[in-house]
Amino acid sequence: MTEETFRIDVKRVGDSEVMMFRGNIDTHAEPHFTNLFNRISTTKLTMDFSQTGRINSMGIAFLLRSIKKFKTEKNATVMVSGVNQINTMLFKMTGIFILAPEIKPAGA
Amino acid sequence: MCVTEKKPLLRERSWSNYWRISSSEDKEKVIAHLEHLVPGDDEEHCFLRQRAVLMADEMLENALFAAPRDTQGRPLYAKGERRSLSPDEQIEFISLYDGDTLALEVTDTWGSLTPETVRSFLDMNLSENEPVEDRSGRGLYFMWRVMQDFYLSAVPGIETTVGGLLQLQTKNCD
Repeated sequence: MTEETFRIDVKRVGDSEVMMFRGNIDTHAEPHFTNLFNRISTTKLTMDFSQTGRINSMGIAFLLRSIKKFKTEKNATVMVSGVNQINTMLFKMTGIFILAPEIKPAGA
Repeated sequence: MCVTEKKPLLRERSWSNYWRISSSEDKEKVIAHLEHLVPGDDEEHCFLRQRAVLMADEMLENALFAAPRDTQGRPLYAKGERRSLSPDEQIEFISLYDGDTLALEVTDTWGSLTPETVRSFLDMNLSENEPVEDRSGRGLYFMWRVMQDFYLSAVPGIETTVGGLLQLQTKNCD
């Protein structure tokens, strides 16, 4: 999947918003993160990675920056969901789960 | 981590897949090929594929964008930009898969990544007390954590080779 196909969909669900990351999160995803902050209007946020491919070290930096910005500038709570095995490893290694706890699927 | 110039490298053995990279566009081609190299829909093979494509991504990003430096040690290229290799520059990527273990190795002809640099990157990433967004050497840290027998062979100013092994493991795979 290339930069042309990456996108972030934002969907309102009740009083929260879900950001769906579709595609690989690497250096080419940066423009999508630049304007993501302005697309968010609530303070209950979920980052959904169920449609995400690989996330490299640059992508991890974008995610950490965004999560910190949501938490500090919007005073938002951020959760993550739909994380596959390798991305779970990366999130544990880099502290993303500390900032944004994972929503476990029902029954997990 | 093994740091030596004497270790037999993957490129000195018979290989199943060998790529000479000519431009940044080749990265996705190599990654797509690796995905096909590891067949199987079960959790173990799926997890191996996930690790393989991430490692190839980090290895080639480093060779394409982190290794090329000017005489002051400044990067010559910005990550993500499209570029072709210069005539005197080479990047080779090799993979070997025996059905259980996948070996990956990349060599660049810059020789700018020294064992000391790698150690400092690993120390920095290991000492994180709180999540830091911009952290140098995070890609190398991922390689060191994800690959078994991670190794680096460095000839300063001549070439750097980085490689390691990935093995089938029983893990959940989405």
